[in-house]
Amino acid sequence: MKDISQSIPKEDHVEKVSGKSLYVSDIKMDHILYAKTVRSIHPKAKILNIEIPELPKDYFVIDYHDVPKENYVKMIFNDWPVFAEKQVNYIGEPIMLIVGKNKQIINEIIEKIKIKYQVLKPTFEYQSSVIHKSFKKGDIKKAFSKPFKTISYTYETGYQEQAYIEPQGFIVYPEADGKITLIGSIQCPYYVKNAVVNTLGCPDDKVRVIQPSVGGAFGGKEEFPSVMACQLAVAVHKIKQPIKMIFEREEDMENTTKRHPSKITLSAAVDKDYRILGLKAHVSLDSGAYIGLSGVVLARAMIASTSAYTIDHLDITGDVYETNTVPNGAFRGFGAPQMIFAIEMLIHHIAKDLNIDPFSLRLAHLAKQGDKTSTSGIFRDPIIMEKMIEKATEISSYHEKVKAYQDPQIWKGIGMSWFLHGCGFTGSGESTHINAKVKLRKDSNDHVYLLVAAVDMGQGAKTSLKKIVVQTLGCEAKNVSFDNPDTDYILDSGPTVASRTTMIVGGLLARAALKLKQTWVDGKEMEVIKQYQQPEYIKWDEEAMIGDAYPAYSWGVNIVEVEVSPVTYQTKVKGIWSVYDVGKAIDDRLVLGQADGGIAQGVAYGYLEVMKHEQGKLRQKTMTDYIIPTSVDMAKTETVIMENPYILGPYGAKGVGELTLVGGAPAVALAIEQAINKKIHKIPATPEYIMELIKS
Amino acid sequence: MVKHVIPKNLQEALNCLYTSDYHVIAGGTDLMIQKRNTADLPPLFNFNMIYLFNLEELKYVIKEETQIRIGSMTSLETLLHHEDVPQLLKDVIKEMASPGIRNMATLAGNIANASPAGDSLVALYLLDALVVLSSVNQNRYLPIEKVIVGPRKTVIQNNELIKEIVIPINTFSKTSWVKVGGRLADAISKVSFAGAVTIEDDRITDFRIALGAVYMTVVRNRSIEKMYKKLSVDSFKKMTPNILDQYQELIKPIDDQRSNKAYRMQVALNIIKDFIDKI
Amino acid sequence: MIKFNLNGKDVEVNLDPSSRLLDVLRNHFNLTGPKEGCGEGECGACAVLVDGCIIHSCCFPLANVNEKEVVTIEGFSTTKRYQTLAQSMLEEGGSQCGICTPGMMIAAESLLNQNPKPTDEEIRIGISGNLCRCTGYNMIVKAIQLAAKKGDGLW
Repeated sequence: MKDISQSIPKEDHVEKVSGKSLYVSDIKMDHILYAKTVRSIHPKAKILNIEIPELPKDYFVIDYHDVPKENYVKMIFNDWPVFAEKQVNYIGEPIMLIVGKNKQIINEIIEKIKIKYQVLKPTFEYQSSVIHKSFKKGDIKKAFSKPFKTISYTYETGYQEQAYIEPQGFIVYPEADGKITLIGSIQCPYYVKNAVVNTLGCPDDKVRVIQPSVGGAFGGKEEFPSVMACQLAVAVHKIKQPIKMIFEREEDMENTTKRHPSKITLSAAVDKDYRILGLKAHVSLDSGAYIGLSGVVLARAMIASTSAYTIDHLDITGDVYETNTVPNGAFRGFGAPQMIFAIEMLIHHIAKDLNIDPFSLRLAHLAKQGDKTSTSGIFRDPIIMEKMIEKATEISSYHEKVKAYQDPQIWKGIGMSWFLHGCGFTGSGESTHINAKVKLRKDSNDHVYLLVAAVDMGQGAKTSLKKIVVQTLGCEAKNVSFDNPDTDYILDSGPTVASRTTMIVGGLLARAALKLKQTWVDGKEMEVIKQYQQPEYIKWDEEAMIGDAYPAYSWGVNIVEVEVSPVTYQTKVKGIWSVYDVGKAIDDRLVLGQADGGIAQGVAYGYLEVMKHEQGKLRQKTMTDYIIPTSVDMAKTETVIMENPYILGPYGAKGVGELTLVGGAPAVALAIEQAINKKIHKIPATPEYIMELIKS
Repeated sequence: MVKHVIPKNLQEALNCLYTSDYHVIAGGTDLMIQKRNTADLPPLFNFNMIYLFNLEELKYVIKEETQIRIGSMTSLETLLHHEDVPQLLKDVIKEMASPGIRNMATLAGNIANASPAGDSLVALYLLDALVVLSSVNQNRYLPIEKVIVGPRKTVIQNNELIKEIVIPINTFSKTSWVKVGGRLADAISKVSFAGAVTIEDDRITDFRIALGAVYMTVVRNRSIEKMYKKLSVDSFKKMTPNILDQYQELIKPIDDQRSNKAYRMQVALNIIKDFIDKI
Repeated sequence: MIKFNLNGKDVEVNLDPSSRLLDVLRNHFNLTGPKEGCGEGECGACAVLVDGCIIHSCCFPLANVNEKEVVTIEGFSTTKRYQTLAQSMLEEGGSQCGICTPGMMIAAESLLNQNPKPTDEEIRIGISGNLCRCTGYNMIVKAIQLAAKKGDGLW
């Protein structure tokens, strides 16, 4: 049997390279209307009065009065309004939609709308905590009782904007039978469907969600689309006509979710043998005006506090702070990039302060199979990090360069990060929150259909999930189809998030395919459904955050080499080397592609991408001002995938999607640190920040 | 009713400008974005428009004995690959925007837009470029620093168009271009620097500096430059602290979404120092 | 009346000459290849060829294509050069979500038109106006390199 990792042609290649692939904005419909959002201009204000001009025929205002059932968008925490009612809590908060045939007239109507506000005092600091979490491991009091040294630092991370090249958008239209169908750029068909059903208060079968081609998402289309979907569904419910709303770039950048800015304070108790006995951490996340899924981001960040290391005594706390800024949300990594940056910098800063070799310090604490995780779970599966580290340092000549670049006259540096990423939804999410189901249907022509909700947003799910089924069935690829999810036909296999698609959904599909193969009858219509069963031994206490936070972990090593200009303080990335353990690559080329793209985002998070707000107004809201790497900015990357099959993963596969981003920032920050011979505590490590450090 | 004219030749264009008020548009990379309307709707020009981009008559690079004459509608990408264009200007264009934008961009557009951060302008100031403003009645030849009088402000009259840019031929011993942007392509400059020096018999016979994105217009000060001509290279280098002080007085960088005052000031001075050090 | 050649066919449009070429291509001609990713000439998703050179159609007025040859990915995809590039993109993994891909193909064609044997650096400059968030660019660069090699004589 062929090795599944061997690359095959990408399923959707022809349509994508030819421009025939239809993204939501490419879809045309007769008699379509357009919608534009009227938004708050204040970060915090009461709405006292709204004056709407007389509307021409067939132009509509849609606001909270039109919401049939629930004026909140169903997501993990239900505090996002569909439309603001009496108060607005961030600049850009949607107040109403204006809907009509002609965009020019819509603009003219909006210009005439007069909103009277009573401005209130906004909060922008980490002041009002709305979620507090904590967990402990071991005996933190003992660890800190008589340490040889206590070393504490605070680290800060900024916004990161997903900057998918396809902006967000939806087409929503009514069917004759009162059903509402939504076509949108999304990651989670059922998040959208369930949110709309909840807001409309309608029967489940009256809402249909169809996924078109999606032009990148990275988490930015995980929960935010539900907001647009609910607004448009309310509109369609009222006026019974089709509506198309596609954001332009500025509106998208200013008003959709971003990576949570963070402030992380770490305190390590070290003994005289340079053993890190205990770690205290406090994680502060800025959720913006609404909580949404910030609680889960906080949980993942806290759980990542010890990254690839084993530290026996922990006291980890975290808070989500609400501020009057655009609400933040999912972005590849989901709390881990913030934390991995902090802990990786800390390890190095401890070594620097103690005047010892950072590499040896890391190695002494590297997690091993059988160790307790940060939440007192167990690393049940083999960990091959030592081999990975050896490979990474070899292909990058890390040790030689670290020595060579010690000279402060040479403005070069090389930095390394070690990290893991928990695969699947944090904690008991898979069994309590998602309960994934997959269906394989075989028709009388023996053609098999994958009926799952997994969205291919570029990561190649269409190719990899089909590949798993084809390999397991042992049939020809042309006899299997995985069409874009349509909730009228599929089962809810869960959202396309949390690095769960290959491992969990793929895992279920492999089992379903095996069952289908074993019970196969030629020419007979058949169906196999499989549902997620949490492995018995995975026990998780959500409240105390104790137990196995994830069923499996993927591991990585990133090494980044830089050169910093002493004249302009700009950083040039000269090389990037990575080694990953994702269990088993379902398709080498797809995984390597994810690796290239992920590290580009992770490294840019560390030194390039700047987004700041001033009194609640984002200063960077265009592709000109929000700087992501161009082809000229990217260095050559070399990636090695090492196999370490996971027993419960399809063909041994574990999670891939987020792993390749989480380690980029500390690797580049540590490289810059070496180049400039100054400690870095904030990312992005921009030339402006580098200059500040050098002059201090 | 707004008029749109695509003139078949230069004379037709000049006549149009003479008879009515028109806004001139070249490639569109600035105006189409500045006047942008909602997607699917035409830009908010609300004015008669005359489209000069495809006027073949204004696309040329002519090398004469003492000068290079560049037709105002020659695309920047064409200039980048033309053998007669001064190396400094090519160095600047190479780092501007991207190939697509360079295919649409023109020196005319850059000059008329008069952005304080316009890269090509820095080179034109340093090279003592002349701008030819044509109208039905006359051709005015103005040094570039007399054409641009403030951010987005020029002396171009309503009946005039930019016909040609004239660059005196120079044989500098060394030129330097440093663009500091947020990334290595598609970046608006935080600071930019053009420098040129000519050395004969170990003496500085020509010394020029032009700085971009650190003032309302490009900074070039000939009185400062004059002070250092005729010095020996060694004496010149010893004057570095003075030179830096003088330029520090001239530049007034700002805080904006791209960078801050302190960084722009320090980096501008670092670049000047580095240029002098490397002479 | 603006007259031009679109994907090999002579066409005439009676639309506002200041209209964005992108809007004319998508709405009047119902093409889906050129896309709007940023609306300000930064991302290259709207890239098309005008007289063989890449331009960003989101900030190019319709008037500027008068009497010119405009080629979008739809027109380019009928050529042998396209086949070579498309196959190379497949082999090297140069397309993930696909939204930047038509623009990248246009950029590659514009580059190879001018420089049939580009170095890595020249390829990177050639696609520097096309933003990609999925691939980190390396596989796209490799694909264009491969196409230049395999397509010896095509460009």
